[in-house]
Amino acid sequence: MDMSMWLALVSIAVGTYLIRLLPYLWMKRSLAKRQTEDGVGSMPTWLTILGPTMIAAMFGTSLVPTHSDIVSWLATGIGILVTFGVWKRTRSMGMPILCGVVAFGLVRFFLVF
Amino acid sequence: MNTTTQTFAGTPWKQGIKDAIPLLGGYIPVAISFGLISVQSGFSVLETILISTFIYAGASQFLFVAMAASGAPLWLVVIMTLLINARHIVYGPNLSPYLNHDKKWLPLMHGLTDQIFALAHARLPQLPDQARLGWYTGAAMLAWLSWIAGTALGAIAGGELTQRWPLINDILPFALPALFFVLIVPRCNNRLWTLTIALSAVSAVILKVLGYPNVAIPLAALCGAALFYALKNQRDMGGR
Repeated sequence: MDMSMWLALVSIAVGTYLIRLLPYLWMKRSLAKRQTEDGVGSMPTWLTILGPTMIAAMFGTSLVPTHSDIVSWLATGIGILVTFGVWKRTRSMGMPILCGVVAFGLVRFFLVF
Repeated sequence: MNTTTQTFAGTPWKQGIKDAIPLLGGYIPVAISFGLISVQSGFSVLETILISTFIYAGASQFLFVAMAASGAPLWLVVIMTLLINARHIVYGPNLSPYLNHDKKWLPLMHGLTDQIFALAHARLPQLPDQARLGWYTGAAMLAWLSWIAGTALGAIAGGELTQRWPLINDILPFALPALFFVLIVPRCNNRLWTLTIALSAVSAVILKVLGYPNVAIPLAALCGAALFYALKNQRDMGGR
């Protein structure tokens, strides 16, 4: 890599870090300020809504399989149903994910390989 | 999500590592692909590993390598990669009520990826204040190191690996939607949130299928938020 490429790499790395850090610092200060003014520090409502909707959107984008064929969509559907079923029973994190991946893999394995 | 404070056996960072293990199913295959593509695009193994270590943002790393290899102007490469990461703006503020004033949080913000945000947003409210820093350090470090290790593996032996074990690329990435699902489903405890989350997820699927993967997350999240406000206003007006 030449010097200009390194410079681009450093700019992106620093920029990405600042995108993650600065809004956090801003909110921390804003919460502290509100706490001194009103006695309670609460987040703006729009932000508390955007958090879960971002996670739901990440779920949506990650659902789309790399190979967009019927088998992949079927495996995805069954994988999510199994994940949900196990989550309903255990209310835990690890086991539902493991069972979901195994179900997804079995459908893919038996229908493709 | 559940706000009950949870206790656990072992140290908080060990619990963080344990909670972040499902992320590996999504991280390692993508990191291997990145390592492979980066080396094929003309970057050395060391450069590839440094990109993953310091940028540490999947989509923008792929874009960086692709644009740089195609000879695009570097200022445009920088702007485009940062634009893709702009969605991270809402992550830190959403977690800030759960983080104390310890200065160690500042360098740890480097590890605030999509997946770590989703995990922390669900888990931090359940943990006692003194356990949060350790928990986050464990989870974020495991994710970061697995991303770097996966990249190195892909850069050194990616072609052979994906040829010998095609299942790595095919099946393990399903851990990511399963993880996001487990993190978001407890939120669906009333009609308002269920509809909001369903619309966000469905919009994201549609936008990605239509070929807009980079704007899918922020746009779909905004759609869900708009529906939330519309339904809430309707309910408030109906209650008057």
